[in-house]
Amino acid sequence: MFRLEGSKTLAVDLTGDAVKAKNGSMVAYEGQMAFKKMTGGGEGLRGMVTRRLTGESMAVMQVTGQGTCYFADRASEINLVSLHGDKLYVEASNLLCTDAGLRTGTTFTGLRGGATGNGLFTTTVEGTGQAAIMSDGTAVVLRVSAQYPLFVDPGAYIAHQGSLQQHFQSGVNFRTLIGEGSGESFQIRFEGEGLVYVQPSERNTIGGNV
Amino acid sequence: MPFREINSKMVEATVLPGQRLFSQRGAMLAYKGEVSFTPNLQGGQGGIMSMIGRRVANEATPLMSVEGSGTVLFGHGGHHVQVINLTGDTLYVEADRLLAFEGTLQQGTMFMGSQGGVMGMVRGQVTGQGLFTTTLKGHGSVAVMAHGGVFEIPVTPQHAVHVDPQAYVAHHGDVRNKLSTALGWRDMVGRGSGEGFQLELSGNGTVYVQASEEKL
Repeated sequence: MFRLEGSKTLAVDLTGDAVKAKNGSMVAYEGQMAFKKMTGGGEGLRGMVTRRLTGESMAVMQVTGQGTCYFADRASEINLVSLHGDKLYVEASNLLCTDAGLRTGTTFTGLRGGATGNGLFTTTVEGTGQAAIMSDGTAVVLRVSAQYPLFVDPGAYIAHQGSLQQHFQSGVNFRTLIGEGSGESFQIRFEGEGLVYVQPSERNTIGGNV
Repeated sequence: MPFREINSKMVEATVLPGQRLFSQRGAMLAYKGEVSFTPNLQGGQGGIMSMIGRRVANEATPLMSVEGSGTVLFGHGGHHVQVINLTGDTLYVEADRLLAFEGTLQQGTMFMGSQGGVMGMVRGQVTGQGLFTTTLKGHGSVAVMAHGGVFEIPVTPQHAVHVDPQAYVAHHGDVRNKLSTALGWRDMVGRGSGEGFQLELSGNGTVYVQASEEKL
Protein backbone atom coordinates (compact mmCIF):
# COMPACT_ATOMS: atom_id res chain seq x y z
CA MET A 1 0.00 0.00 0.00
CA PHE A 2 3.06 2.28 0.00
CA ARG A 3 3.65 3.83 -3.42
CA LEU A 4 5.71 6.73 -4.68
CA GLU A 5 4.14 9.80 -6.24
CA GLY A 6 7.15 11.11 -8.10
CA SER A 7 10.41 10.41 -6.27
CA LYS A 8 9.87 12.79 -3.35
CA THR A 9 6.34 12.07 -2.17
CA LEU A 10 5.07 8.92 -0.54
CA ALA A 11 1.41 7.99 -0.99
CA VAL A 12 -0.08 5.55 1.49
CA ASP A 13 -3.52 4.01 0.93
CA LEU A 14 -5.22 3.35 4.23
CA THR A 15 -8.35 1.31 4.80
CA GLY A 16 -8.90 1.76 8.49
CA ASP A 17 -5.40 0.59 9.41
CA ALA A 18 -2.54 2.66 10.77
CA VAL A 19 0.97 3.73 9.84
CA LYS A 20 3.69 5.44 11.82
CA ALA A 21 5.23 8.50 10.20
CA LYS A 22 7.67 11.26 11.06
CA ASN A 23 5.96 14.04 12.98
CA GLY A 24 4.60 16.77 10.73
CA SER A 25 5.49 15.06 7.45
CA MET A 26 1.96 14.93 6.04
CA VAL A 27 1.55 17.21 3.03
CA ALA A 28 -1.96 16.29 1.88
CA TYR A 29 -4.68 13.69 2.31
CA GLU A 30 -7.94 12.55 0.77
CA GLY A 31 -10.65 10.99 2.90
CA GLN A 32 -10.73 10.87 6.68
CA MET A 33 -7.50 10.87 8.68
CA ALA A 34 -6.56 11.26 12.31
CA PHE A 35 -3.07 12.21 13.48
CA LYS A 36 -1.80 11.40 16.93
CA LYS A 37 1.66 11.99 18.29
CA MET A 38 3.28 8.93 19.78
CA THR A 39 5.58 9.65 22.65
CA GLY A 40 8.91 7.84 22.71
CA GLY A 41 8.71 6.72 19.08
CA GLY A 42 5.62 4.64 19.76
CA GLU A 43 7.55 2.22 21.91
CA GLY A 44 5.80 2.98 25.14
CA LEU A 45 7.46 3.90 28.39
CA ARG A 46 10.55 1.87 27.59
CA GLY A 47 10.99 3.70 24.29
CA MET A 48 10.54 7.01 26.03
CA VAL A 49 13.32 6.28 28.48
CA THR A 50 15.78 4.65 26.08
CA ARG A 51 15.30 7.22 23.37
CA ARG A 52 15.81 10.03 25.84
CA LEU A 53 18.96 8.38 27.18
CA THR A 54 20.47 7.44 23.83
CA GLY A 55 19.76 10.73 22.11
CA GLU A 56 18.22 8.80 19.21
CA SER A 57 15.02 10.75 19.60
CA MET A 58 12.32 10.16 17.05
CA ALA A 59 9.16 12.26 16.84
CA VAL A 60 6.55 9.95 15.42
CA MET A 61 2.84 10.26 14.80
CA GLN A 62 0.30 7.57 14.21
CA VAL A 63 -1.92 8.09 11.20
CA THR A 64 -5.20 6.21 11.04
CA GLY A 65 -8.06 6.53 8.61
CA GLN A 66 -9.65 5.79 5.30
CA GLY A 67 -8.25 7.16 2.06
CA THR A 68 -4.88 8.25 0.75
CA CYS A 69 -2.31 10.15 2.77
CA TYR A 70 0.71 11.87 1.19
CA PHE A 71 4.00 12.30 3.07
CA ALA A 72 7.11 14.27 2.17
CA ASP A 73 9.92 15.93 4.08
CA ARG A 74 12.04 18.81 2.80
CA ALA A 75 12.07 17.44 -0.75
CA SER A 76 14.21 14.44 0.24
CA GLU A 77 14.27 11.46 -2.09
CA ILE A 78 12.26 8.53 -0.77
CA ASN A 79 13.19 4.85 -0.99
CA LEU A 80 10.80 2.00 -0.25
CA VAL A 81 12.11 -0.96 1.72
CA SER A 82 10.25 -4.27 2.04
CA LEU A 83 10.96 -6.24 5.16
CA HIS A 84 10.25 -9.96 5.42
CA GLY A 85 11.11 -10.74 8.98
CA ASP A 86 14.57 -9.17 8.75
CA LYS A 87 15.90 -6.08 10.44
CA LEU A 88 16.56 -2.65 8.96
CA TYR A 89 19.08 -0.34 10.64
CA VAL A 90 18.46 3.31 9.86
CA GLU A 91 19.05 6.67 11.44
CA ALA A 92 15.91 8.07 13.08
CA SER A 93 16.24 11.25 11.03
CA ASN A 94 16.18 9.25 7.78
CA LEU A 95 13.09 7.22 8.64
CA LEU A 96 9.90 8.66 7.12
CA CYS A 97 7.18 6.08 7.50
CA THR A 98 6.66 2.47 8.62
CA ASP A 99 3.77 0.02 8.64
CA ALA A 100 2.15 -0.16 12.05
CA GLY A 101 3.01 -3.85 12.16
CA LEU A 102 6.74 -3.14 12.21
CA ARG A 103 8.51 -2.86 15.53
CA THR A 104 10.99 -0.07 16.02
CA GLY A 105 13.76 0.04 18.59
CA THR A 106 17.20 1.39 19.33
CA THR A 107 20.52 -0.38 19.14
CA PHE A 108 24.14 0.39 19.94
CA THR A 109 26.31 0.91 16.87
CA GLY A 110 29.69 1.20 18.45
CA LEU A 111 32.45 3.37 17.14
CA ARG A 112 30.84 3.88 13.72
CA GLY A 113 28.17 6.15 15.12
CA GLY A 114 30.72 8.57 16.49
CA ALA A 115 32.31 9.08 13.10
CA THR A 116 29.11 9.29 11.07
CA GLY A 117 28.02 12.14 13.26
CA ASN A 118 24.95 10.15 14.15
CA GLY A 119 25.67 9.38 17.74
CA LEU A 120 26.39 6.00 19.19
CA PHE A 121 22.89 4.63 18.72
CA THR A 122 20.71 3.91 15.71
CA THR A 123 17.11 2.90 15.07
CA THR A 124 16.08 -0.60 14.07
CA VAL A 125 12.92 -1.58 12.23
CA GLU A 126 11.91 -5.21 12.47
CA GLY A 127 9.08 -7.44 11.25
CA THR A 128 7.16 -7.90 8.02
CA GLY A 129 5.90 -4.90 6.10
CA GLN A 130 7.07 -1.79 4.33
CA ALA A 131 9.11 1.18 5.41
CA ALA A 132 10.08 4.41 3.65
CA ILE A 133 13.51 5.92 4.21
CA MET A 134 14.79 9.28 3.06
CA SER A 135 18.05 10.24 1.42
CA ASP A 136 19.68 13.40 0.16
CA GLY A 137 19.70 12.62 -3.57
CA THR A 138 18.71 9.29 -5.11
CA ALA A 139 20.13 6.48 -3.01
CA VAL A 140 21.88 3.45 -4.44
CA VAL A 141 21.35 0.01 -2.97
CA LEU A 142 24.58 -2.01 -2.83
CA ARG A 143 24.56 -5.74 -2.24
CA VAL A 144 27.13 -7.22 0.09
CA SER A 145 28.02 -10.90 -0.20
CA ALA A 146 30.38 -13.03 1.81
CA GLN A 147 33.28 -12.74 -0.66
CA TYR A 148 32.85 -9.07 -1.33
CA PRO A 149 32.92 -6.76 1.65
CA LEU A 150 31.78 -3.19 1.04
CA PHE A 151 33.44 0.00 2.23
CA VAL A 152 31.23 3.04 2.75
CA ASP A 153 31.97 6.63 3.63
CA PRO A 154 30.36 7.23 7.04
CA GLY A 155 28.79 10.47 5.82
CA ALA A 156 27.06 8.82 2.86
CA TYR A 157 25.70 5.79 4.71
CA ILE A 158 21.98 5.90 5.42
CA ALA A 159 20.72 2.40 6.18
CA HIS A 160 21.41 -1.31 5.90
CA GLN A 161 19.49 -4.55 6.22
CA GLY A 162 20.32 -8.24 6.41
CA SER A 163 22.93 -10.06 8.47
CA LEU A 164 25.88 -7.74 8.21
CA GLN A 165 28.73 -7.09 10.54
CA GLN A 166 30.11 -3.62 10.46
CA HIS A 167 33.64 -2.65 11.30
CA PHE A 168 35.07 0.75 11.54
CA GLN A 169 38.41 1.25 9.90
CA SER A 170 40.69 4.18 9.60
CA GLY A 171 43.44 5.05 7.20
CA VAL A 172 45.00 7.69 9.36
CA ASN A 173 48.69 8.12 8.62
CA PHE A 174 51.32 10.80 9.03
CA ARG A 175 49.83 12.84 6.16
CA THR A 176 46.57 13.13 8.04
CA LEU A 177 48.40 14.34 11.10
CA ILE A 178 50.09 17.18 9.21
CA GLY A 179 46.76 18.25 7.72
CA GLU A 180 47.24 16.70 4.28
CA GLY A 181 44.58 14.02 4.60
CA SER A 182 42.46 12.98 1.64
CA GLY A 183 39.22 13.42 3.53
CA GLU A 184 38.66 9.68 3.31
CA SER A 185 40.39 8.64 6.48
CA PHE A 186 37.50 6.67 7.93
CA GLN A 187 35.32 4.01 6.37
CA ILE A 188 32.75 1.50 7.51
CA ARG A 189 33.42 -2.04 6.30
CA PHE A 190 30.36 -4.25 5.86
CA GLU A 191 30.79 -8.02 5.81
CA GLY A 192 28.21 -10.77 5.46
CA GLU A 193 25.05 -10.92 3.39
CA GLY A 194 22.75 -7.96 2.98
CA LEU A 195 21.96 -4.60 1.43
CA VAL A 196 23.45 -1.20 2.15
CA TYR A 197 21.77 2.10 1.17
CA VAL A 198 24.16 4.88 0.22
CA GLN A 199 23.26 8.45 -0.67
CA PRO A 200 25.12 10.62 -3.23
CA SER A 201 25.83 13.28 -0.64
CA GLU A 202 27.93 13.42 2.49
CA ARG A 203 26.90 14.69 5.86
CA ASN A 204 29.41 16.70 7.81
CA THR A 205 31.34 14.19 9.85
CA ILE A 206 34.46 14.25 11.91
CA GLY A 207 35.88 11.64 9.54
CA GLY A 208 35.28 13.80 6.49
CA ASN A 209 37.26 16.68 7.90
CA VAL A 210 40.56 14.91 8.43
CA MET B 1 2.00 26.26 -25.69
CA PRO B 2 4.56 28.98 -25.08
CA PHE B 3 6.20 27.09 -22.18
CA ARG B 4 8.10 23.86 -22.66
CA GLU B 5 9.72 22.06 -19.74
CA ILE B 6 13.39 21.40 -20.53
CA ASN B 7 13.99 19.56 -17.28
CA SER B 8 12.31 19.71 -13.92
CA LYS B 9 13.88 23.05 -13.05
CA MET B 10 13.92 25.01 -16.33
CA VAL B 11 11.30 26.07 -18.82
CA GLU B 12 11.77 27.33 -22.35
CA ALA B 13 9.38 30.02 -23.47
CA THR B 14 8.72 30.92 -27.07
CA VAL B 15 8.20 34.63 -27.59
CA LEU B 16 6.44 35.79 -30.74
CA PRO B 17 6.00 39.39 -31.92
CA GLY B 18 2.93 40.91 -30.38
CA GLN B 19 2.72 38.35 -27.60
CA ARG B 20 3.98 39.53 -24.31
CA LEU B 21 5.16 37.41 -21.40
CA PHE B 22 5.64 38.42 -17.80
CA SER B 23 8.35 36.83 -15.69
CA GLN B 24 9.93 37.31 -12.31
CA ARG B 25 12.73 39.82 -12.59
CA GLY B 26 16.12 38.18 -12.98
CA ALA B 27 14.73 34.75 -13.73
CA MET B 28 16.05 34.71 -17.32
CA LEU B 29 18.88 32.22 -17.77
CA ALA B 30 19.54 32.43 -21.49
CA TYR B 31 17.83 33.54 -24.66
CA LYS B 32 18.01 33.20 -28.42
CA GLY B 33 16.77 35.74 -30.95
CA GLU B 34 15.74 39.34 -30.52
CA VAL B 35 14.19 39.56 -27.10
CA SER B 36 13.93 42.59 -24.88
CA PHE B 37 13.40 42.61 -21.14
CA THR B 38 11.75 45.62 -19.61
CA PRO B 39 11.45 45.98 -15.89
CA ASN B 40 7.85 46.48 -15.04
CA LEU B 41 7.50 49.03 -12.30
CA GLN B 42 3.87 48.29 -11.81
CA GLY B 43 4.60 44.67 -10.94
CA GLY B 44 2.27 43.28 -13.59
CA GLN B 45 -0.76 44.31 -15.48
CA GLY B 46 -3.31 47.01 -15.00
CA GLY B 47 -2.77 50.64 -14.37
CA ILE B 48 -1.49 52.68 -11.48
CA MET B 49 -4.39 51.60 -9.31
CA SER B 50 -3.50 47.92 -9.66
CA MET B 51 0.07 48.79 -8.78
CA ILE B 52 -1.00 50.57 -5.61
CA GLY B 53 -3.29 47.66 -4.84
CA ARG B 54 -0.44 45.20 -5.10
CA ARG B 55 1.90 47.37 -3.04
CA VAL B 56 -0.67 47.68 -0.29
CA ALA B 57 -1.42 44.00 -0.42
CA ASN B 58 2.28 43.12 -0.28
CA GLU B 59 1.81 40.97 -3.36
CA ALA B 60 4.20 43.06 -5.46
CA THR B 61 6.93 40.83 -6.81
CA PRO B 62 9.32 42.54 -9.18
CA LEU B 63 8.24 41.49 -12.66
CA MET B 64 9.61 42.20 -16.10
CA SER B 65 7.87 42.01 -19.43
CA VAL B 66 9.48 39.97 -22.17
CA GLU B 67 8.84 40.96 -25.79
CA GLY B 68 10.31 40.29 -29.20
CA SER B 69 10.82 37.07 -31.11
CA GLY B 70 12.91 34.15 -29.97
CA THR B 71 13.14 31.68 -27.13
CA VAL B 72 13.97 32.38 -23.50
CA LEU B 73 15.03 29.97 -20.75
CA PHE B 74 13.65 30.63 -17.28
CA GLY B 75 14.64 29.17 -13.93
CA HIS B 76 15.14 30.48 -10.43
CA GLY B 77 16.94 29.35 -7.31
CA GLY B 78 17.04 25.70 -8.35
CA HIS B 79 13.36 25.37 -7.54
CA HIS B 80 11.19 22.90 -9.35
CA VAL B 81 9.00 24.41 -12.03
CA GLN B 82 5.50 23.29 -12.90
CA VAL B 83 3.64 24.51 -15.98
CA ILE B 84 -0.10 24.93 -15.46
CA ASN B 85 -2.43 25.51 -18.41
CA LEU B 86 -5.53 27.55 -17.76
CA THR B 87 -8.62 27.35 -19.93
CA GLY B 88 -10.83 30.12 -18.69
CA ASP B 89 -10.66 29.36 -14.98
CA THR B 90 -8.81 31.15 -12.21
CA LEU B 91 -5.52 30.13 -10.63
CA TYR B 92 -4.82 31.20 -7.05
CA VAL B 93 -1.12 31.40 -6.29
CA GLU B 94 1.29 33.36 -4.13
CA ALA B 95 3.06 36.11 -6.10
CA ASP B 96 6.56 34.97 -5.13
CA ARG B 97 5.90 31.53 -6.58
CA LEU B 98 5.21 32.95 -10.04
CA LEU B 99 8.11 32.33 -12.43
CA ALA B 100 6.51 33.42 -15.69
CA PHE B 101 3.07 33.73 -17.23
CA GLU B 102 1.49 34.70 -20.51
CA GLY B 103 0.31 38.23 -21.09
CA THR B 104 -3.10 36.94 -22.14
CA LEU B 105 -3.86 36.10 -18.51
CA GLN B 106 -5.57 38.62 -16.33
CA GLN B 107 -3.72 39.27 -13.12
CA GLY B 108 -5.51 40.32 -9.98
CA THR B 109 -5.23 40.44 -6.23
CA MET B 110 -7.69 38.71 -3.98
CA PHE B 111 -8.43 39.52 -0.37
CA MET B 112 -8.43 36.36 1.70
CA GLY B 113 -11.31 37.69 3.74
CA SER B 114 -13.56 37.54 0.69
CA GLN B 115 -13.59 33.76 1.01
CA GLY B 116 -14.92 32.98 4.39
CA GLY B 117 -14.71 36.36 6.10
CA VAL B 118 -12.70 36.46 9.29
CA MET B 119 -11.77 32.79 9.04
CA GLY B 120 -10.33 33.53 5.61
CA MET B 121 -8.06 36.15 7.14
CA VAL B 122 -7.02 33.78 9.90
CA ARG B 123 -6.32 31.16 7.26
CA GLY B 124 -4.11 33.56 5.35
CA GLN B 125 -2.09 34.27 8.47
CA VAL B 126 -1.71 30.63 9.47
CA THR B 127 -0.67 29.47 6.01
CA GLY B 128 1.79 32.32 5.68
CA GLN B 129 -0.01 33.56 2.58
CA GLY B 130 -0.76 36.85 4.18
CA LEU B 131 -4.06 38.60 3.74
CA PHE B 132 -3.88 38.69 -0.03
CA THR B 133 -3.12 36.28 -2.80
CA THR B 134 -2.62 36.65 -6.54
CA THR B 135 -5.13 35.41 -9.08
CA LEU B 136 -4.56 34.70 -12.76
CA LYS B 137 -7.58 34.32 -14.99
CA GLY B 138 -8.17 33.50 -18.65
CA HIS B 139 -6.59 31.29 -21.27
CA GLY B 140 -2.86 30.67 -21.19
CA SER B 141 -0.03 29.01 -19.30
CA VAL B 142 1.72 29.79 -16.05
CA ALA B 143 5.07 28.50 -14.77
CA VAL B 144 4.94 28.11 -10.99
CA MET B 145 7.89 27.39 -8.68
CA ALA B 146 7.91 24.96 -5.78
CA HIS B 147 10.48 23.39 -3.48
CA GLY B 148 10.74 19.73 -4.42
CA GLY B 149 8.50 18.12 -6.99
CA VAL B 150 4.90 19.16 -7.44
CA PHE B 151 2.04 16.76 -7.76
CA GLU B 152 -1.58 17.53 -8.47
CA ILE B 153 -4.59 16.14 -6.67
CA PRO B 154 -8.00 16.47 -8.30
CA VAL B 155 -10.74 17.93 -6.12
CA THR B 156 -14.28 16.72 -6.80
CA PRO B 157 -17.52 17.42 -4.90
CA GLN B 158 -17.52 13.95 -3.33
CA HIS B 159 -13.84 14.07 -2.64
CA ALA B 160 -12.51 16.79 -0.37
CA VAL B 161 -8.73 17.08 -0.13
CA HIS B 162 -6.81 18.21 2.95
CA VAL B 163 -3.44 19.86 2.47
CA ASP B 164 -0.72 20.89 4.89
CA PRO B 165 -0.69 24.72 4.64
CA GLN B 166 3.10 24.79 4.27
CA ALA B 167 3.04 22.31 1.37
CA TYR B 168 0.23 24.05 -0.50
CA VAL B 169 1.38 25.63 -3.77
CA ALA B 170 -1.63 26.73 -5.80
CA HIS B 171 -5.12 25.70 -6.85
CA HIS B 172 -7.42 26.37 -9.73
CA GLY B 173 -11.04 25.83 -10.56
CA ASP B 174 -14.15 26.35 -8.50
CA VAL B 175 -12.65 25.39 -5.18
CA ARG B 176 -13.64 26.60 -1.74
CA ASN B 177 -10.96 26.41 0.89
CA LYS B 178 -11.40 26.40 4.57
CA LEU B 179 -9.02 26.04 7.46
CA SER B 180 -9.77 22.97 9.48
CA THR B 181 -8.20 22.49 12.84
CA ALA B 182 -7.59 19.27 14.65
CA LEU B 183 -6.21 20.78 17.80
CA GLY B 184 -6.56 18.71 20.92
CA TRP B 185 -5.25 18.83 24.42
CA ARG B 186 -2.09 17.14 23.12
CA ASP B 187 -1.20 20.24 21.10
CA MET B 188 -1.78 22.42 24.14
CA VAL B 189 0.78 20.54 26.18
CA GLY B 190 3.31 20.58 23.35
CA ARG B 191 2.78 16.99 22.31
CA GLY B 192 1.05 17.70 19.01
CA SER B 193 1.50 15.63 15.89
CA GLY B 194 2.51 18.71 13.93
CA GLU B 195 -0.65 18.44 11.85
CA GLY B 196 -2.86 20.79 13.83
CA PHE B 197 -3.95 22.94 10.90
CA GLN B 198 -5.03 21.77 7.50
CA LEU B 199 -6.49 23.45 4.46
CA GLU B 200 -9.64 21.70 3.40
CA LEU B 201 -10.37 22.13 -0.30
CA SER B 202 -13.74 21.15 -1.68
CA GLY B 203 -15.57 21.77 -4.94
CA ASN B 204 -14.33 21.17 -8.45
CA GLY B 205 -10.76 21.72 -9.55
CA THR B 206 -7.15 20.83 -8.93
CA VAL B 207 -4.77 21.53 -6.08
CA TYR B 208 -0.98 21.53 -6.46
CA VAL B 209 1.11 20.27 -3.55
CA GLN B 210 4.90 20.33 -3.16
CA ALA B 211 7.00 17.55 -1.64
CA SER B 212 8.34 19.76 1.09
CA GLU B 213 7.19 21.87 3.96
CA GLU B 214 9.53 24.72 3.20
CA LYS B 215 8.37 28.04 1.86
CA LEU B 216 10.22 29.59 -1.03
